[in-house]
Amino acid sequence: MSLLEIDKINSYYGDSHVLFDLSMHVGEHEVVALLGRNGAGKSTTLKSLMGAVKPQDGTVKFDGEDIRGLPPYEIAQLGIQLVPEERRIFGSLNVEENLQLASLSAPNAWTIDRIYEYFPRLKERRRSRGTDLSGGEQQMLAIARALIRDARLILLDEPFEGLAPIIVQDLLGVARQLAEEGRTIIIVEQNVAAALSIAQRVYIINNGHVVYEGTPADLQERPEIMHEYLGV
Amino acid sequence: MILRRLARYSGGRPWVAELITLIVLLISPLVLPLVGVSADVSSRILIWGLFGLGFDILFGYTGLLSFGQAAFFGTGGFVSAFLLTQTGMQNDVFLSLMIGMVAAMAAGVVVGFFTLRRSGIYFAMITLAFAEMFHFLELSPLSAWTGGENGLTGVPMPIVGIESWHFQIASGWSLYYYIAAFFFVGYVIAHRIVLSPFGQVLMALRDNTPRALATGHSVRKYKLAAFVIAAGYGGIAGGLLGVLQSYMPPDAVAFHTSGQLVMQGIIGGAGTLFGPLVGAALWLGMQDFLQDVPAIAAAWMLILGVVFVILITAFRQGVLGAVRQIFVARVPEAAHAKTELSAEVTRRHRVAGVPDEHTNMDEVPDHFIRSDVGEHQRDLMIVPKGAAADGVALSCTHLTKHYGGISANEDITLSIPEGQLRGIIGPNGAGKSTFFKMLAGEVVPTSGHVYLHGADVTGLGVTAVSQLGMSKSYQINELFSKLTVAQNLSIPVLARLRGEFRPDMLKSMHQVPGLHGQIEATLELVNLENRTEVPVTELAYGEKRRLEIGLALANAPNVLLLDEPLAGMSPRERADTVQLLQQIRAGRTLVVVEHDMDAMFELAEYISVLQEGRLLAEGTPEEIKNDQRVQDAYLGGMEEV
Amino acid sequence: MPSLPLFLSQLFNGLATGLLLSLISAGLTIIYGTLGVLNLAHGALFMVGAYAGFVALQWTGSFVLAIIGGMVGALVVGLLMERVIVRYYYQRPPEDQILVTFGIGIVITELVRLVFGGIAKPVPIPSWGEGITRLGFLFYPTYRIEMMAIVAVALVLLYILLYKTRIGMIVRAGIEDSLMVNMLGINVYRVFLLVFGIGAMTAGFAGILNAPVLAVTPDMGEAFLVMSFVVVVIGGVGSFPGAIVGGIIAGEIISMTSMFSSAYSHVMLFAIMAVLLAVRPQGLFGIEGRE
Repeated sequence: MSLLEIDKINSYYGDSHVLFDLSMHVGEHEVVALLGRNGAGKSTTLKSLMGAVKPQDGTVKFDGEDIRGLPPYEIAQLGIQLVPEERRIFGSLNVEENLQLASLSAPNAWTIDRIYEYFPRLKERRRSRGTDLSGGEQQMLAIARALIRDARLILLDEPFEGLAPIIVQDLLGVARQLAEEGRTIIIVEQNVAAALSIAQRVYIINNGHVVYEGTPADLQERPEIMHEYLGV
Repeated sequence: MILRRLARYSGGRPWVAELITLIVLLISPLVLPLVGVSADVSSRILIWGLFGLGFDILFGYTGLLSFGQAAFFGTGGFVSAFLLTQTGMQNDVFLSLMIGMVAAMAAGVVVGFFTLRRSGIYFAMITLAFAEMFHFLELSPLSAWTGGENGLTGVPMPIVGIESWHFQIASGWSLYYYIAAFFFVGYVIAHRIVLSPFGQVLMALRDNTPRALATGHSVRKYKLAAFVIAAGYGGIAGGLLGVLQSYMPPDAVAFHTSGQLVMQGIIGGAGTLFGPLVGAALWLGMQDFLQDVPAIAAAWMLILGVVFVILITAFRQGVLGAVRQIFVARVPEAAHAKTELSAEVTRRHRVAGVPDEHTNMDEVPDHFIRSDVGEHQRDLMIVPKGAAADGVALSCTHLTKHYGGISANEDITLSIPEGQLRGIIGPNGAGKSTFFKMLAGEVVPTSGHVYLHGADVTGLGVTAVSQLGMSKSYQINELFSKLTVAQNLSIPVLARLRGEFRPDMLKSMHQVPGLHGQIEATLELVNLENRTEVPVTELAYGEKRRLEIGLALANAPNVLLLDEPLAGMSPRERADTVQLLQQIRAGRTLVVVEHDMDAMFELAEYISVLQEGRLLAEGTPEEIKNDQRVQDAYLGGMEEV
Repeated sequence: MPSLPLFLSQLFNGLATGLLLSLISAGLTIIYGTLGVLNLAHGALFMVGAYAGFVALQWTGSFVLAIIGGMVGALVVGLLMERVIVRYYYQRPPEDQILVTFGIGIVITELVRLVFGGIAKPVPIPSWGEGITRLGFLFYPTYRIEMMAIVAVALVLLYILLYKTRIGMIVRAGIEDSLMVNMLGINVYRVFLLVFGIGAMTAGFAGILNAPVLAVTPDMGEAFLVMSFVVVVIGGVGSFPGAIVGGIIAGEIISMTSMFSSAYSHVMLFAIMAVLLAVRPQGLFGIEGRE
């Protein structure tokens, strides 16, 4: 049985129907990429998992338990952590406080020092306020917040968006390390190449439902699919 | 049964309600004493009812909750009382009352200038603060004129008459009739106001202020007008209080006066005009009635407070609102979106809740596709284009937007010729939405210019841009959720026909030439003709999207911006909407942002591609498909990894 | 020109009033910033503190226990208010939230009036506060100086709570982005309850502390409610430093103006509020666009 099983969920943003009977599954230790153009529903899928958007029907089973409809804080306590697209760093708190806050409700929280080993840059900036961090540093902190919780399932929503290629390389390294360590990750990305380089399996979402499922290798052999759903 | 028929009959005939009101006012002195209600209490109820007419226009119809109406009640009351007691005007009660009202309205302009810059809770808070300032003014620095803590005594009774015939009003029922006359006139005026085009705009404002603004109405001016009207009603009511009591009390300007008005209005029912009157009747009438029961008399305010809390929690629409719901019309209850995300948005940005519904695909009508396109186009107005000689409808030069240190858009220059359907595409983070907002006038560029038919519209704002002939339809529906389909469409049409502000408060909607024609034509074009009287909350999602486009069309734009018109649609709805867009092209320039590539390539004649805030490429759909740079942009540069 | 002793005395007065206002407004602004609710019952909670303190004083004869009693009384009422009614309003339009707190404020006030009557209750100055103290050439009522010191200590404690404790960190993060706090596994609704409780407790504390100075009547909270609004406007919504600075400024404006014209002392404060609204609508420490 997979760690995460989504079965035919329908999610709405207000009354805009965004996800139509969407189903997918993620096994433990898998890294799965969710690809698709804007507005396809990738972000909404992650938000539906985290409880920020409540799917109207269908089931979302995490470790066998249906978590659909639970409030975000309960879902986080079960071990799922969303790293949002906008990062949502607390600007009035410094780096260390952001990390401390994230670790509060996690029973298996890492120590801050362990996080700093992973992200030396954050250690240098530990006393800097959130608003003073660069885009790449904020993204690092956002990922670190999920990591410090020892999350069982990390949801990365467009982690590379708006960042310079060099920073993207840095973060990709971090993501690869996480994947190698066996973390379960769902990554939503528009940067197809980056996503494919760390994913073991790929879903493509178009207009709110899954239109392709396979491995990166399989996908790369089908350029017409990439062009149809991802390209132009 | 009778009520229902009566309501339906009086629907288009405002004088029916007014006549009934007149009759009730006239016969009350015969009936009320039988139930033990005195003339004094009746007069007092009318005064609060009059005060409440203005408050209901401000809160019930425009949606502005003010906790500071006592400021105007006091201003009108004290100016009038001062004139009557300290100057030689004691024989001119009517004139003094009028001057008091004007003074209150002037105060309304000043207070409105400061308070209307904010909305919602903040607005409520500062109206309260300003009213307290008036209270302090009354008590201390101006006490020479207001009598300070003692108030002004000796306010005379009015004398009515013409030429040599005079009649001195005495306290009791004859004073009641004097006050009732004011109430009646006040009611007729208020009634006409809410039925007028001006009133319709107020209701749109209450419902969805940003959309009302984008449709071409000057929200600021309408709000100020409503505020001043409410101040005026407060002023005259205050003056009448002084006459009733022969005394102008200082607590007329106190916070609890404003509070009492709010409570009465809510208990009675907001948005009904008679709500405050009913609330006052319950408050004052019952209080008078029960005054002989000592236990209740002492706890009266407590009982009212508890009733108030219960009403807000369970019967938000108040007594009259509940009556209306049961007997008369289906009042659509705007449900509230239940997601955490939207709860947060509500908490922070005061966005009205959008009902969550399921799309019922079976409700999309089969006969959607029209073949007789030409006829509708003839009826639907399009604003004549400006005189740009080079045939360019919309263009921008070096358009740039920076937010702090982040560049959202950098140096975009493009130009869209008349009649073209231009597509704008780009991967996520390309800056499409910021760019679109700059074109629409919602966001002021950091640098660069936007030209509409050759005229520089940079930084003019959505209202001006709308009046100049460019409209936008939104990715997330921005409808007037408490109104019907036809009422929704009337809002942009009213802006088109009346300009950004017109105080036509006493006109009826039928007196706006061309209104119905334009609404009909728009309804036909978006195929909602059989849904005109349906409240928005009952529409299916696809119908709401069509109404959304309809709102932009009804403005008679010659340039139409469409932000993801296909968002959230099923495949079938997409096909239908693409057809719709093809139909509305004639005579217009369309600019479409979309992610649905199939639809985009079917519709667009020319496409501009944005990436990372800049213009990457432009060309025909074929050219774009074959452009390697564009492919790379979407597929994320495979070679780099 | 006013004399130096008068000037200094008024400066001192302004500080005393201002600090009290800061304390009351701090509670209001934290609730407003975190929950998005303007608590119109805040003045009533201030009043409940005074009455609860009065009752405690009757029972025990100790002013210190009265202070604790006041805090606890206001806390209990505040928590009840939040749990029974206010928490069901978080998803409702903001006007409804403000209306219901207004209604609750009236209910609380009227209940107190029913139980205790409308005549002022005597809360005498405690024995350690009697008399006049001399500060240089100034003579000042001892209790008012002590009150000022106590309020200052309370503000410092609040500061420590907000900026040096884990709970305070959560509250500050919640003011900024309560959804993200939610997503990080923290039950925000408990945070809201806590914030409401802190706000109520500070209002009650201020109420009983001020009771020896001001007549304890059911309506005593109203004036302070409006003043605290003005402070929030000046200081900025959701800002603790804003409440402190705004409160002191407000106190000084009233005090200083009364040197020249006692009639206009409060009016001046409102006038300055109006100017600030026009020129810098978010307040001194507020965030632009935040309502």
